[in-house]
Amino acid sequence: MSEAVHVASVLWRRSLNEVLRVRGALLPATIAPVIFLLGMTGQFGRLTGLEGFPTDSYLSWIVPLSCLQGAGFAGAATGANLARDIEQGLFDRLLVAPVPRAVLVIGPILGGITRCLVPATVVLLVGLALGAELPGGALGLLALYFASAAFCAIAALWGVFMAVTFRTQQAGPLMQQGVFMAVFLSTAYTPESLLRGWLEDFAHFNPVTQVLELARQATVSGIEPSLAHTLPGLAALAGLGLFFGALALYGLRRMGH
Amino acid sequence: MTRDPAREGRVVLALGRRALSVQFRRAQLLMPTFVLPLMLLAVIASGTSAARGLREFPDVASYLGFVVPGTIIQGALLAGLTSGTALAGDIEGGFFDRLLAAPVNRTSLVLGRLAGTLGLALLQSTLFLAIAWIFGARYPGGAGAVLATIALAAITAVAIGGVASAIALRTGSLSLMQSIFPFVFVLLFMAPAFFPRELLVPVLRDAAVYNPLTYVVEAVRGLLQAEPALGDPLAGVVAAVGLALATVALATLALKDRLRRL
Repeated sequence: MSEAVHVASVLWRRSLNEVLRVRGALLPATIAPVIFLLGMTGQFGRLTGLEGFPTDSYLSWIVPLSCLQGAGFAGAATGANLARDIEQGLFDRLLVAPVPRAVLVIGPILGGITRCLVPATVVLLVGLALGAELPGGALGLLALYFASAAFCAIAALWGVFMAVTFRTQQAGPLMQQGVFMAVFLSTAYTPESLLRGWLEDFAHFNPVTQVLELARQATVSGIEPSLAHTLPGLAALAGLGLFFGALALYGLRRMGH
Repeated sequence: MTRDPAREGRVVLALGRRALSVQFRRAQLLMPTFVLPLMLLAVIASGTSAARGLREFPDVASYLGFVVPGTIIQGALLAGLTSGTALAGDIEGGFFDRLLAAPVNRTSLVLGRLAGTLGLALLQSTLFLAIAWIFGARYPGGAGAVLATIALAAITAVAIGGVASAIALRTGSLSLMQSIFPFVFVLLFMAPAFFPRELLVPVLRDAAVYNPLTYVVEAVRGLLQAEPALGDPLAGVVAAVGLALATVALATLALKDRLRRL
């Protein structure tokens, strides 16, 4: 057990070194959600004038979305890095280590979660500086960070599955676009009551809608911190974690066979 | 070196064909160019269509038809950026150095790459317009407007390809080109890509005046919707052609500068 913890911790530190030693490694992953935050607010800010919109600050509505987006991309990068290790032969050597295969990806996933705190925090600070509200207080912030970290872990599990399935860095865009679709096919731009057409149904059943509601307790005045807004998000995260965790384990087990 | 326009034309065409075929063989390069704009179109068309309920929103035949110009311009931006990324790949891989040794005009090397971008944008914008039409977008402007839209998108892609090529030639770095991907969205969001200019937040509305893409996207909207109040086609043509000329000149200068440094 302690050996497994040690291996996971070493691989965690290794994945953090990739950020600390490569100058600007976090820049694209941080800047992209900030650009989306500013761009979406600029384009669609007037949507808050529609009846049924829970807040009059569109920035407050979009900040949690951009936090999840940044966290998701940081998670997907875990998969891209693993694909690189597989391509370069490093992962083959790790596979012969006397530890369960799952332990080999726990470290990089923890690294992804640690990294995701940077874009989530930058997005939040930019949003607050530009006038986003924080009516949820400390509890809301806790919900926002928990949702971001857990969503990053799920994106990382998805990335791991893709990496061990395709075993090439060329699968990187697929990993990112999976995250992109999951986030945007939800109540990304407007609440469910204002969605139209197929997206209305899709967003209703997309678990990320619940995760967004969990995160929006921090910044959206109409979604106050409460169990009713928290439990569905936690359930969605647990379900997604189990599903993508099982997929990643299945992919890892198949490696080398 | 003697300048034989016919021969240089053949060089540009051959390089353009190569650029296109390389891009179609590397699906990972094309995924963002083709899939991302369509995904964003699908999400925006359904996610924000309630905006038609806003008092100031123009009366249009279909919301999808109103936002599709944003997708066309996004595609053009990504197609242009892709050409810079591919050029940086050629520089890193050494292929571009071998091209430099060929007895052809250096400007043709830049134009050849941009010819590939032009071809890519033509295919891409045709596909986007067709898919949007299948899903309910209507173009009251007719076939002429559709053709003009495709042409404007292709010129815009060449313009962005010029900037991307200039950066690629200056830096020769593939990883840098890949990391400027998010900045494409700055240009897009600083134009009334998906919403009328009057409904943008004030800061963006003021900034949009200075963004050439504003006039291109509005021109496309005006053309497709056959509604001059939505955009002036002439302003769009002037903006796209002017930008293309300026950035192609920039790329040519970057190539000359690169040659001096070799």
